[in-house]
Amino acid sequence: MRRFKWPGITILSLFLLAAIALRADFRAGYYAPTEPGAMRQALPDVFSTDANYSAGQFPLLEPALATGDGKETLEADCSLCHTPRFVTMQPPLPAETWAAEVEKMRKVMGASIPDDDAKKIVEYLSAHYTPETRKR
Amino acid sequence: MASLIGKTNRRKWLQILGGSAAAIAFQRVFGGSGLAAQEPSAPKPIPDFTGPGPNPYWNSPGQWVTYPQKSPLILLTDRPVQLETPRRAFLSAFTPNEAFFVRWHLPLIPNTVDLKTWRLHVEGNVERPIELSFPDLMTRFKAVSLASVNQCSGNSRSLFQPRVAGGQWGSGAMGNALWTGVRLREILDGAGVKAGSLQVQFEGLEKGMGPRGYGSNRFLKSLDLNNPVLDECIVAYSMNHEPLPLLNGFPVRLVVPGFFATYWTKGLTSIRVLDQTDDNFWMKAAYRIPDTPRNSTTPEEMKSGKVPTIPIARMPVRSFLISPDGSSKVPAGFPLRLQGVAFSGYGGIRKVEVSADGGVSWRDAQLGEDFGPYSFRMWSADWTPPRAGKYTVAVRATDAKGNVQPDAGVWNPGGYEWNKIERQEIVVGDAS
Repeated sequence: MRRFKWPGITILSLFLLAAIALRADFRAGYYAPTEPGAMRQALPDVFSTDANYSAGQFPLLEPALATGDGKETLEADCSLCHTPRFVTMQPPLPAETWAAEVEKMRKVMGASIPDDDAKKIVEYLSAHYTPETRKR
Repeated sequence: MASLIGKTNRRKWLQILGGSAAAIAFQRVFGGSGLAAQEPSAPKPIPDFTGPGPNPYWNSPGQWVTYPQKSPLILLTDRPVQLETPRRAFLSAFTPNEAFFVRWHLPLIPNTVDLKTWRLHVEGNVERPIELSFPDLMTRFKAVSLASVNQCSGNSRSLFQPRVAGGQWGSGAMGNALWTGVRLREILDGAGVKAGSLQVQFEGLEKGMGPRGYGSNRFLKSLDLNNPVLDECIVAYSMNHEPLPLLNGFPVRLVVPGFFATYWTKGLTSIRVLDQTDDNFWMKAAYRIPDTPRNSTTPEEMKSGKVPTIPIARMPVRSFLISPDGSSKVPAGFPLRLQGVAFSGYGGIRKVEVSADGGVSWRDAQLGEDFGPYSFRMWSADWTPPRAGKYTVAVRATDAKGNVQPDAGVWNPGGYEWNKIERQEIVVGDAS
């Protein structure tokens, strides 16, 4: 502790002077060490003058699915049309709602998911994404 | 503290903790008169999901993301893309294009559009099928402008109880813009709708990966040819005096004033006149609401299979408090200005009322400039909270047809048409 004495006292003195000058009780100088944000500004686009109008590529932001049996089956069978974020975005849903969703994807949306896979996917969703089981 | 210092080198200690060490010492010297009891806390991230109760936040809890031609928005899903507008973007009557919400149904959406080859096809049961280029639309027709709110059918779906599956929108799946383009009627008249036609179907640049004939392959929406809204529809090439962002439907999108956004086809390529009723998935199975009072029902009634449904159409009246948003504590006696937006798909806002006691007593707010019956209408009301306490501000609107926002939610399996009176807690502290 000893080696921090001098900087501590120096800062304390400066702080006291500032506080007395401002004539208010307050707390200052707290900073929480934080991971730098992932959100970077994009470089401005460079455009050609032809008739093409482009937005470039859209970001793919795959979420972390809960690890467990059936995760790979879900990723393989569902990713043709949408990312697993369609699972992680949902509130915790009862197992029968998940079963109905998987059935809707197969029957109504035409997803080619074999019976065995569908069973595995529903079991996986029930094990990790119901009000009783959802952790994250 | 000791362990933290042990892990940190001298320089970092100076930079990061110097201030807080001084602050603690300062409190010891001065005895803490008037100081908060606790150290300022580090910010905590919002949880990844909400539920099974209602979403307690105004927006959905997703992370901030940057997309092409967009300011930071709130991520719902990345493929297909669904992005929500943050609350503060509604402090003006017109929502900036870069903040406008995004909702696509299928994964293949345009990154690039070549206007040399893009054409709007008017086809189907018409006398003269026609193809219109972008310059055709800008020069061969009379340009008309209209301010109109575009709101997702599932806006505020995360407030439903019990929760329903679907895009878990907070209340930012809406926006208002000044749309400029060509009257749909003028285009239809140019092609000549054949007698006996029933509907007009719209399709855009969005495509899916699913098998042909399924909703996962094409996104198709239709309106009845005898629906009066057709006379107000615009094929818009301009949004707030700018080209549409690609994510919002460049080069043109259909504007259906007063109707939910599901009909506002983006990247429009086909206007198809039908001589029969459209029975594709997006009309027959999706975006349908119970044909009941307020289009509301219960999970039990739905299970019985006896609830008749109809395609979703006009937006019920809504109003929102945008500022203050509860993110700051307000000193007692401070002259606040409550402000926000209101709109209705039934033609204009007649009145907005505010309450500072959770809806017990109401007084009229002042209405802002009238930009037409389908626009956001800004409202404001000055309010000085008299003393410290927790106040619940509520806001309710009445539309031109006399519809008043109800103080009860709705429930339907799609999670559509939420329009309950909104409430916001404002914490007022002692000012001395």
